[in-house]
Amino acid sequence: MIELSHLTKVYGDIAVVNDVDMHVEAGTITVIVGTSGSGKSTLLRMVNRLVEPTEGRILVQGNDVSKMPAHELRRSIGYAIQNHGLFPHWTVARNIATVPMLLGWDRRKVAARVEELMELFQLDHAQFAGRYPHELSGGQQQRVGVARAMAAKPALLLMDEPFGALDPIIRGKAQADLKAIQRRTGTTILLVTHDMDEAIHLGDRIAVMDGGNLKQYAPAADILARPADAFVDDLIGAVDRPFHYLTLGSVGAAVEPGEAGGAPLAADASLYEGLGALLWSGRKAAPVVDAAGTPLGRVTLDSIADRAARPR
Amino acid sequence: MIRDLIRPGTILRLVVFAALIAFLLAPDRFAGLLAPLTSNGAPPIYHQSSLVDLTLSHLFTVAVSTLAAAIVAVGLAIFVTRPAGAEFLALSRAVVNIGQTFPPVAVLALSVPIMGFGEGSTRLALFLYGLLPIFENTLVGLSTLPPAVVETASAMGMTGRQRLLKVELPLAMPLIVEGIRLSAVIGLATATIGSTVAAKGLGEVIVAGLLSNNLAFIVQGGVVTGVLAVLISDGFQAVARHAAKRRGVSSGAPPAEPDEQQAAA
Amino acid sequence: MTTLSDAATDRAATPRVDRLGVVIAILVVVALALPFATFRATRIASGTGLRLFDALPAGTAAAVAAVLVAALVTAVASRRPTFRLALGALALAALALGAGAAGAHLTPADNPYARIAPASGFWVGVFAAAMLVTDAMVRLKLGPVGRLVALAVTAALVVALLASGAWSHLSLIAEYRNRADVFWREAGTHLVLAAGSLAAAVVIGLPLGVLAYRLRKLRDPLINVLNIIQTIPSMALFGILIAPLGWIAANVPGAHAIGIRGIGMAPAFLALFLYSLLPMVANTVVGLNGVSRAVVDAARGMGLTDRQRLIQVEMPLALPVILTGIRIVLVQNIGLATVAALIGGGGFGVFLFQGLGQTATDLILLGALPPVALAFAAAVVLDAVIEISGKGKA
Repeated sequence: MIELSHLTKVYGDIAVVNDVDMHVEAGTITVIVGTSGSGKSTLLRMVNRLVEPTEGRILVQGNDVSKMPAHELRRSIGYAIQNHGLFPHWTVARNIATVPMLLGWDRRKVAARVEELMELFQLDHAQFAGRYPHELSGGQQQRVGVARAMAAKPALLLMDEPFGALDPIIRGKAQADLKAIQRRTGTTILLVTHDMDEAIHLGDRIAVMDGGNLKQYAPAADILARPADAFVDDLIGAVDRPFHYLTLGSVGAAVEPGEAGGAPLAADASLYEGLGALLWSGRKAAPVVDAAGTPLGRVTLDSIADRAARPR
Repeated sequence: MIRDLIRPGTILRLVVFAALIAFLLAPDRFAGLLAPLTSNGAPPIYHQSSLVDLTLSHLFTVAVSTLAAAIVAVGLAIFVTRPAGAEFLALSRAVVNIGQTFPPVAVLALSVPIMGFGEGSTRLALFLYGLLPIFENTLVGLSTLPPAVVETASAMGMTGRQRLLKVELPLAMPLIVEGIRLSAVIGLATATIGSTVAAKGLGEVIVAGLLSNNLAFIVQGGVVTGVLAVLISDGFQAVARHAAKRRGVSSGAPPAEPDEQQAAA
Repeated sequence: MTTLSDAATDRAATPRVDRLGVVIAILVVVALALPFATFRATRIASGTGLRLFDALPAGTAAAVAAVLVAALVTAVASRRPTFRLALGALALAALALGAGAAGAHLTPADNPYARIAPASGFWVGVFAAAMLVTDAMVRLKLGPVGRLVALAVTAALVVALLASGAWSHLSLIAEYRNRADVFWREAGTHLVLAAGSLAAAVVIGLPLGVLAYRLRKLRDPLINVLNIIQTIPSMALFGILIAPLGWIAANVPGAHAIGIRGIGMAPAFLALFLYSLLPMVANTVVGLNGVSRAVVDAARGMGLTDRQRLIQVEMPLALPVILTGIRIVLVQNIGLATVAALIGGGGFGVFLFQGLGQTATDLILLGALPPVALAFAAAVVLDAVIEISGKGKA
């Protein structure tokens, strides 16, 4: 989907992005994580040419982005940012319709698409279509921002700290929704964040950046298990590592035959949730059921603990 | 909308407007009101020219100059905020700051040697001075847009032109309207003084009153120009407020903005 | 791969022509092509335009032209603000001295009524050089003290130029010489009108602003009324005030004795005062409103009384905004006082309107230039004061 080769951006004497090679698989969520000043946003913004690279090449679906007119390239790529950047003088519906209108879609098609997206993002059309951005809550504004980014059904969606301005509870829900929507639409997402939790929660693959360099680029489990260097290790946090690890596995994967008392756990709950439920209810084991409620067996504290240990 | 219309301030303005129209169309009916201000049997109502004609040509002078100033000033402000005109940005800010210290009446007087007597010099002065507030306000409007909004406009794939027309100018509009209001108000005042350089306008009535020592002329000229200025200024403010309110963007400078240029001239 | 990187480096590396410099250069060329001085046989006769080399002895003309060309070259070729400032200032000096020299050169020995005035070429040249200087000053980013020094130096040079007699053959100075006594009297009147009404507005407007800040109910109506007054054209307000003041002068015992008249300074002073109230009151309210809530709460929490809080905390913090109000008022009043002459209020407007009446350009300039210079100087001084007073309070 995206192919970065020798990508470099120099401001003055400083290489904010330094010779990065990266391949992003279609249909996945790739998260670039790093501290501020790591070059992660610059990297993202080179993909839709908001920043022009000093050196190197970017291919999107096999096409060299530098060979396309910038505005046409950008219309084919979704873009959502932290402060949503909604146009304050346009209604919600008009905001979502931005790119389809730029592309000259037929009016009815645009209206239908807006309605479809508002439903997808749980915004009541009758209630919200005619409202202005300042009349929405932060969470609603953010959803409109993402809906707008996806309006023209881009194959690729770039997101720069899209949930950064949300409070933790709304952020968790927004992340879950994004993941669900991505699974449905198959959109390729390249997302930038400084939050390792978010990266692990969302990312099929995680790219860790520091000082303009790509430190490690691997699936979340690999990053947790085998951090490439001290920086990546630090970013994960020694204390949090086993818990991060547990968020990646599901209770279903740790099921063993046997009985246990008390409230059952869902098979698709994460091991992290399972651990929490066991600890809080003071049990050593709990029954596991699938989505239909059929008992699958049980999960024990020990089996969860095994999966939190550093893999060998 | 209906509620807006029945606000007491609106009713007052409508009454004042109606009274103004009534006076302009049939000034003689008000002769009794103004007669106590005259002495030695001087006429209470100005008759050398029709008040309607004077009002219309006064308004026309202001409208033409302000419109021209608006087109040029907005164009210049757009130019200096594009990459192509960036070199001129700092200087143009300084020139506008300096220019606004110039008394409008001095600009009027200095344009007489260039344009001669009559409407020409008044229009030139109004145009030149009118550029300043519109340019400044447009510049502020275009350079204080939320960065996230401007960036997303580009990121959505708008061309520079689309971004300007669909996003930047509409968002700057309340401030631009406020700039045009200031220009128009300054213009109305300066055009009054323009009567001293033989431009046709309502200042003529005041000047005639001063020359013939006729208080009735002075008062009718002064009240008509004053009322016109207040009503026109109110109209612009209502437009700016409406534009700002609907969009939830910062409105044109409220009356208490500290660095707002003042309108009197 | 090449297209992107090359385009980016090209833009950074290639030195481009400074387009502002080009504009200034074109203006200088235009200035050289236009008449430098005007010769008139009498004060109000129509004039003949003379180009630089016709208006000056060849050597002097060559010197002036050389300086202007040097400024032109600097504008195009150098981006260094110090160079540009130096050449711009030099060009202004050359133009000023050149104008004076033209006066001396062109005045015929046998015709004391002949008038020599700088013409369009001179003014365009001044404009171009002023642009160069302004641009350099902007780029140098002078601090408040630096700007005050620059203003003082400029003022000293202008005074020196006028005192040296270098311009004594120019018609502007001739007009001044003919009415030097009146000039200084009207200058005094102008200052009394502008500064006096400012003082009155500070004395009344500041407490009114504090009151409006404390009493929310008073705020909007008061600001609205002041806003309406501000909108009324000056000539209209001056005129309208004649009626009530005339009535007071005639009917209130003692009013006439203290100088209240229907016509003259009184209505002008009152009108300027009324215009000044809006900036004073509004800026006081905005300044006080802008004091951070945390600071106000802290002051209250430490047991300051309302009065102590106002004087020790709120007013000092609001000072820059209040000073901005004073700047607006002073600049505005220096300009508006010019209009006072129309109702017999005196001031520089006397010459301006006399000049308009007689179509005497030099007399117009004599009335228009002093208020322009005064307003500009007032703005520079007060801007500097505001910046200094705001240090560390942002």
